[in-house]
Amino acid sequence: MEFFEEHKKQIILIVTGILLVCILLTYGKKANATWIESALGFVITPVQELTSDVGNWFGSKIDWIRNQDTLAEENKQLKEQVALLQEENKRLKQYDTENQKLSQLLKISQKYAQYETTGSKIIAKDPGNWYDVFLIDKGKNQGISANMVLTSPNGLVGKITESGATYSKAQSILDSRSSVPAMSIRTGDLGVVKGEYSLMNSGLCRMEYIDAEAEIMEGDEIVTSHLSDVYPSGITIGRVKEIQTDANGLTKYAIIEPYVDFKHLDTVLIIGADKTTQEAQP
Amino acid sequence: MRAFIIALFIIVNFLIQSTILHYIEIRGVIPNTTIILVVSYALLRGSVEGAAAGFFTGLLQDIFFGASIGYFALLNTITGYLFGRGNHNFYRENYILPMMLCAIAVFGYETIIYITGFLFRGQLNFLYIFVNTLLPETVYSCIFTIPLYRILFGTNEWLELKEKYKYRLF
Repeated sequence: MEFFEEHKKQIILIVTGILLVCILLTYGKKANATWIESALGFVITPVQELTSDVGNWFGSKIDWIRNQDTLAEENKQLKEQVALLQEENKRLKQYDTENQKLSQLLKISQKYAQYETTGSKIIAKDPGNWYDVFLIDKGKNQGISANMVLTSPNGLVGKITESGATYSKAQSILDSRSSVPAMSIRTGDLGVVKGEYSLMNSGLCRMEYIDAEAEIMEGDEIVTSHLSDVYPSGITIGRVKEIQTDANGLTKYAIIEPYVDFKHLDTVLIIGADKTTQEAQP
Repeated sequence: MRAFIIALFIIVNFLIQSTILHYIEIRGVIPNTTIILVVSYALLRGSVEGAAAGFFTGLLQDIFFGASIGYFALLNTITGYLFGRGNHNFYRENYILPMMLCAIAVFGYETIIYITGFLFRGQLNFLYIFVNTLLPETVYSCIFTIPLYRILFGTNEWLELKEKYKYRLF
């Protein structure tokens, strides 16, 4: 202790130097966690899962009390909706089989492949206020690796940036470091959906680099485009809320409202890595 | 004993901040309890232990949520070191000073994160961030300092009493 007190200025300088070198060396893409991180994750993440569960339980109870009056009404509406959707689903299944037969006849591959998905729970969120990073409870041991894509039943959530043995670190599409190549389903206009800090807390993001001549409109549906090597094409992202022209007048940008409710998200689906093999099937 | 208890504090704080604390966020802002912990501990125990506590809290955050190892560790270490320097010059029983210092620390810390992580990537709307993140977070953290400092102060008194008998000080 005496030694530390006497040389604290030198020590703090050395530590600063080491950490600066560390930051520069480790910045950037890192697919797998080291065994030290995995070991720490093995200890920390189960406790996080537990505290998260406790929080979720209280949250759901509070929600239940708050929404008690509207529940019966909502239940009735949902039942009607289920009946409608079942009807529609039957019809779509027929289309699907017909589509498969026809594409087999034409010898073209299926455009929207069936992805194998694994469910996973969100166990912790970024303790700071700047980024939208979260941890999920599946890792390398369950076959999860970096750059796998996360979705929810409603649409795209994000991607995995690093995977440890029993947990993975993921980045949502609202994070200001994320960018997803996207297109409008109706007109086929291309753009890039980027997270922005000022929109993050209201759960919105921004689609940039849209051509000034593009016929994109408010209410158009945005899906991932075929231009990305991380995100498979055709995953729904959200709806256009607002369109603005950039200051330079050459491009437009749109405010996108994702279909996913990021505030109340607690489970995600991980899309498996073997999408290329499935897409190749006729 | 002391190291064990402060390690427990660091881990429990990390767990709570990354899970339950998100339920009491106000307009998407949660209080920065890590910095409160580091600054309070540094004020009670001096710069060396403050820097050590900062280093480990930062490392934990880097491993689970950071883009590179060492970024938060560096920031927290320096925060702990700087705020521990004045620990001989004030009465620990005072609550106003820790509150003020925590507010200054949180404000400075988040401003540095904004400059390194956002300004350099072309996010120039400082006014928006000042009004919507920096100010609410500073105020929120300021309020959270009172209970946290009280807990740390009590624990520290208890530990010092035990150490006094153990090492036969005074």
